[in-house]
Order: sequence, then structure tokens, then C-alpha cells
Amino acid sequence: MRGLFVVFIISLAVLAAFPRAGFGRERESPAQSVVIGLTPEQNIFRQIDRYTPLAEYLSQKSRLGVKPKVTTRYGEAIDDLVSPKMDGAFLGAFAYVLARRKVDLEPLARPEGLDGRSMDHGLLFVRKGSGIRDAREMRGKRFAFVDRASAAGFLLPLVYFHDHGIKDYRTYFKETYFAGTHEDAICDVLSGRADIGAAKSTVFHRLEDTDRRISRELMILSRSPDVPETTLVVRKGLDPSITAAIRDALLKMDGDPLGRAVLKGFGAERFVPTVDKDYEPLVEYAHRLKLDLHHYNYE
Amino acid sequence: MKKRIIIGLACFTLIFFLGGVYIIGSIQRATSTLDTLIKLHQVQILRAQLLISAKRTQSDFAYKDTRYFKDLEKVIGNVVVMADESKKCSGCHHTEEVAARIADFRTRIGAYEDCLSRLLTMRAGRLRMDAEEDRTLQIGQDLTDRLDSMVFVTKAKLEEKTQSSLRGIGEMKSLLFILISAGPILAIGLAIVFIKGFTGPLGAILQATRRVKAGDLAFRIEGLKDEFGEVAGSFNEMAGSLNEQMQNLQRAEQMKVVGEMAAGLVHEIKNPLTGIKATMQVIIEQGSCGKEDLVVLSKVMDEVKRIEALMKSLLDFAKPPKPQLMPVDINAILESTLAFSIPYSSVASSWGKAIEVVRAFDPRLPTVLADPSQMQQVFLNLLMNALEAMPEGGVLTVRTSGVELAEEVRIDVADTGKGIDDETGEKIFQPFFTTKHKGTGLGLAVTKRFVEMHGGTIAVEKNPGGGTIFRICLPGKAAIDRTGR
Repeated sequence: MRGLFVVFIISLAVLAAFPRAGFGRERESPAQSVVIGLTPEQNIFRQIDRYTPLAEYLSQKSRLGVKPKVTTRYGEAIDDLVSPKMDGAFLGAFAYVLARRKVDLEPLARPEGLDGRSMDHGLLFVRKGSGIRDAREMRGKRFAFVDRASAAGFLLPLVYFHDHGIKDYRTYFKETYFAGTHEDAICDVLSGRADIGAAKSTVFHRLEDTDRRISRELMILSRSPDVPETTLVVRKGLDPSITAAIRDALLKMDGDPLGRAVLKGFGAERFVPTVDKDYEPLVEYAHRLKLDLHHYNYE
Repeated sequence: MKKRIIIGLACFTLIFFLGGVYIIGSIQRATSTLDTLIKLHQVQILRAQLLISAKRTQSDFAYKDTRYFKDLEKVIGNVVVMADESKKCSGCHHTEEVAARIADFRTRIGAYEDCLSRLLTMRAGRLRMDAEEDRTLQIGQDLTDRLDSMVFVTKAKLEEKTQSSLRGIGEMKSLLFILISAGPILAIGLAIVFIKGFTGPLGAILQATRRVKAGDLAFRIEGLKDEFGEVAGSFNEMAGSLNEQMQNLQRAEQMKVVGEMAAGLVHEIKNPLTGIKATMQVIIEQGSCGKEDLVVLSKVMDEVKRIEALMKSLLDFAKPPKPQLMPVDINAILESTLAFSIPYSSVASSWGKAIEVVRAFDPRLPTVLADPSQMQQVFLNLLMNALEAMPEGGVLTVRTSGVELAEEVRIDVADTGKGIDDETGEKIFQPFFTTKHKGTGLGLAVTKRFVEMHGGTIAVEKNPGGGTIFRICLPGKAAIDRTGR
């Protein structure tokens, strides 16, 4: 019996050693796939074009398979983080505040623009000559929001309405709708499909650079306080090494020639660290509006 | 021939080079045409794929808000594929018109993308959404219609281009076949020309060699050119020289035979003749003959003397005595011969005042090695001939020339008589040839024999002032010292 036991142990040892001794090489495990969601900040196809080089760079540096997945709504990205169909996402500030209520998230980094700022703000704008100069003159007009989970595209306009005595925007305006992207909200006002629009400043200024009609024909009525730019967040349940690899790759991009080239195409100077505390002003706005962030309907 | 070979080879090389260039050019053109066709087919495939993508996208969105709508991610993926396909042809070198049309397509596809993105992301009232859907479908339909038309036109053009290219390649193929067939024919033709160029002249030379070998020394090669012409010229010279040497040999043989015959004849005739002569002399000296008999005897004696002189000439010609060479003064021999011959000449004596004798002796004339008696006979023969050539008088000029170190000494004996024709000139030194009524035809032959035995030459030419010049050239002292004779 004792002899059989010894033979068994030796056999186990041989079997355990066989893969290394017999084949020598360790097979490389396939790169682990990480799905990163993209909110429809602009035309979703251009959004894919903008983020694909960044995802490829992160894949190369972190040795992970980083796959960008564009969503058609901000809320869809929140749902996918909860489900979890996504491991992380580039979320706008308000979307992050809402998502954090549903799932444990860790903000990693956000881009710093070429102007050296990593914050943006909301804008309310109309066509020049539309006769709309203040909240009072907005009555009975058509208003283009962006998305219910967008800070600049919904939350900040609500704050503006609140501050200017508009109690129920649904009845105050002739029509309100969600254009879906900041770009569409701007284009709708420009083309006359809406009278007033709300959008984030970074997208507004980016479009201004390519379409001179925006600065020529649109007029900004109001500008909100700063809020953090779109931030890459990941689920806290994600492998810490993956989280660390992605964070490191992002934060060190500006020190790498290839990273600088990708950043230039992306329209940023670098990625800077971001923390949960940076989003507290948005929570304050929500409290002012008496929004229940835990049960907020972002559909 | 060398030039012809070089020109032939240069022509062949040039034709080969041009043929090669044409073949390479044809292959390159055919490859280029096929490459263009492949590219056009690729473009056609790209456009067809783009059309399929656009139609698929239209179909996807037609089912939006229905249970047949596909997974959103796949739908977006299809649109991305369509956009990527529209960008694939950016590297092609299109005409300005086509490039503008492609740019227009890209703008339309961009607009279609904008509409699709809007439709997917927007949430609005029914009316606004319907309007957006209508707009998107309208743009999509317009895009697919245009693509459809473009694919149709491209297909037709491609078909036409393919047919035209295939026709061009077919023509090129036929030309190549012709070239490939003509190449060997041309090579064979050139080879025949070259072979004929070699074998023709070689055959003529070979035939001439056989003719000469068979004894036809008068045969000459005619009509060859270049290097073969030079070979033929040398061959002809060789044949001429052989002919001359053969004639000299024959003549020498004849002379030997004649000499032996003459020696025997002279010996056989001379003895009885001496007996006849002595007997006749005794009869005359006895004085028993009458006056008439003495006349007859005297004529017999003259004829006997003539026969003796003839015998001597014949012997001198056929078996001349070996010359006893010693330094002699030619001018002195000439002077003594003139002094001896002029008074005894029947012509000179009967027409003494009509013959003017001009002595043009060169006082610096060097001595020559010669047999004085043979030289005297030579000059005597020439002087007698000259006098006989001027029966009605004339000028006899005897001229010598030559310097002390001269290679030769020249003696001219010229008369102003009736002269000789060319045919006579050629035969004048032949034995037994004479133009005189009572001549033996041996005088000039003996003269020539004696001169040649002294290493000299004798020639006859026309005197510019009328008559004949006999010119003798004897080797001078310098020539004798050099040759050691």
C-alpha cells in the first residue's frame, strides 16, 4: 500500500512536470478582452473614429484587447456597466454620477484639452436674430436637449430653468426633445430644426473650428459653471492589474511619441488623474433640483 | 568581306535588339493593360460591395422599431464597413470628373451617416422622428440609386474596356507570332548570304588552282572583290610569274638543244668548208683559170665566207664563249667600233655625207667589268643595224651616261630611220627573226645574249624624233662590288 502511494505521488509529479518538460514553451494566453463603452457625445460613427486609435494604443501598451463599443444613449452605457456588458466607459460627468449610484465604479483619468483645461461647461445657445435673449423669451419655443444623463445637455439647462423661474419645461416650451448627441443639438439649432439648444462647450468649440457658420450664426445665451470632462471609469470588480495597466497607459501617454501622436488625433494634451470628489458640484446641482439620483430615469 | 560581315552582324544585332525591345515592350504593355483591368475590376467589386453595404444598411433601418431589427452593434458595424469601403479607392488616379463624383459620394455617405446616427440616438415626438426617418430613408435611397447607376455604368465601361484590351492583346499576340516566325527565316536568309559570300569566291579560287595545276597558266580569276579580290590578285600574279618562268625555262631548254645542234652542225660543216676554201684558194693562186672562171671562183669564195660568218653567229648564239671580264672603258670601245664600222658600212660609204654621227659620251663614265671583244661585237651589231635603218641618211646618236658610283651604265644607240612597229619590237630579240632581205635573224639575239651574260639588259623603244633607240644597261662598279661578281 505504501509502495502504491509512492508510485502515485511520482506519477503525479511527472504529469505535473510534463507540460513544461515535454513542450518547454509556455503558450501565451490570449489577450484579455476589455470592453470600453463610448457615450454618443457626437455622431456615433465619428465617435468610433475618434476613440479607435486610443483603444488600439491602450491595447498595445496594456497587452489587453481593448474594444470600444459605442452606445446610442448615455443611459445605455450605464445599463451596460451594471449588467455588466462593459468593463468601463468614457462617461460624461452626470452619467458617471448616475452610474455610481448603481454600480461601484472607479474614475481613472480624463483628457486635458489643448488649452490645458480638463473641465468643460454647458452652453445654451440660439440663432442670432431669433429674438431670444433670455429665459422669458424662450417660452413657446422648441428646445433641443442632448440626453437625460448628460450634464451639459440636460442637467445644467434644468439648473438654468430653475434659476430663471421655469418650473416645468415640458409646458413652458412648445416642444422639447433629445437630439441624442451634443453635435446634433448644435446642428439642429443651426439648421432651424430647433430654436434653443444645450450642449457641452468642448463639442461646441470643436465644431466651431470646422464649421464657421456656428460662430457666425449662433449666439450663446448662458454658460454654466465648469464640470469635469468625459472621464474613463472602470468597474471596481475589474481585475486590479487591468485597471492599473489601463490607468498607467493613459497617464503616461504624453511621455511616449506614439502616445503623443494618438493624443493629438484625439484632440487632447494628456490624460490627467480624476477622483470622485471632482463630481461633487454635479451632486449639488441635482440636490438643488431635488433629483433622486438613485431612482433617476435616464431613459 | 570583313566590312560585309560587320555590316551583316550589325544589321542582325540591330534587328534582334529591335525585336527584343518590341517583345519586351509588348509584354510590358500587355501586363500594364491586364494590371489596369484588374484594378478596374477591383474598383467594380468595391463599388458593388459599397452598393451591397448601402442596401443592407437601408434594409437594416427599414426594420427599425420592428422585431426583425438586428442587434444594434451589428447594424452600426455594417455602416462602419460601408464608410470604410467608400474610402478604399482614395489611392487611385482618377480623372478630375470621376474624383469629383467620388468626393460627392463620400459627402453623401457622410450625410447618410449623420442621419443614421441621429436616427439611432434621437428621442423625440412621433412627428419629428418620422421626419428624421423619412429624411434618412430618402438620402439612403438616393445614395443606393446613384451607386446602382454608377455600378451599371462602370460595368458597361469595364466590359467595353475588357473587350478592347483583349483585342489589343490578340493583335499583339499575332504580331509576336509573326516576329517569332520571321526571326528564324531572317537568320536563315542572312546565313545563306554569308555562306554564299564565302563559298562563291572560295570555289572560284579552288577552280583556278585546279586549272593552274592542270597547266593552264594563262587562267586568271576575275570578278572577286574585297579580301577575296586581293587573294585573287596575288593568285593571278603567282600564275603570271609561273607562266613567265615556265617560258624562260622552255626557252633555255630550246637554246640548249639549238646550241648542241649548232655546235655539231658547225663542226660538221666547218671542216668540209675549210677544205673547199683551201682548194679554191689553191686553184686561184695556180693562175690556170681564165678570167671568167676567176669571177665565179671569187663569188664561191664570198659565199663560203658568208657561210663561215653564219656558222660563227650561230655558234655565238647557241654556245657563246664565256666572257673574259676586265675593266674596260665603254666610251673607248664605242669610239673604236664607230671608227671601224662607219667606213666599212656599205650604207655609210655610199651615203657617207648623209649620215650624221653624234657622239654624246659622258666623260665621267666609270669603267665596267666586261669582255671587250664581246662588247665590241654588241656595239657593232647595234651600229650596223642603225646604219641599215637609215638607207636615205639620218642622224646616228651614240650616248653614254652614268657616274662613278652609279648602279648602272647606260648606252643608247639611236637612229632616225623608219622605226619599228610594236609587233616587231616584241619579237626583235628572238633568234631567226629578221626584217632584212638577207638577214640571218641572229644579230640582235646574239647581242641580247652577250649583254645578259654581262648581267645587263637591252631594250628597244621608239625614238621621239622618229626611228629607234636601243638601250643597254650594264651593271656599274657599285653594283658589281655589292654583288661580288
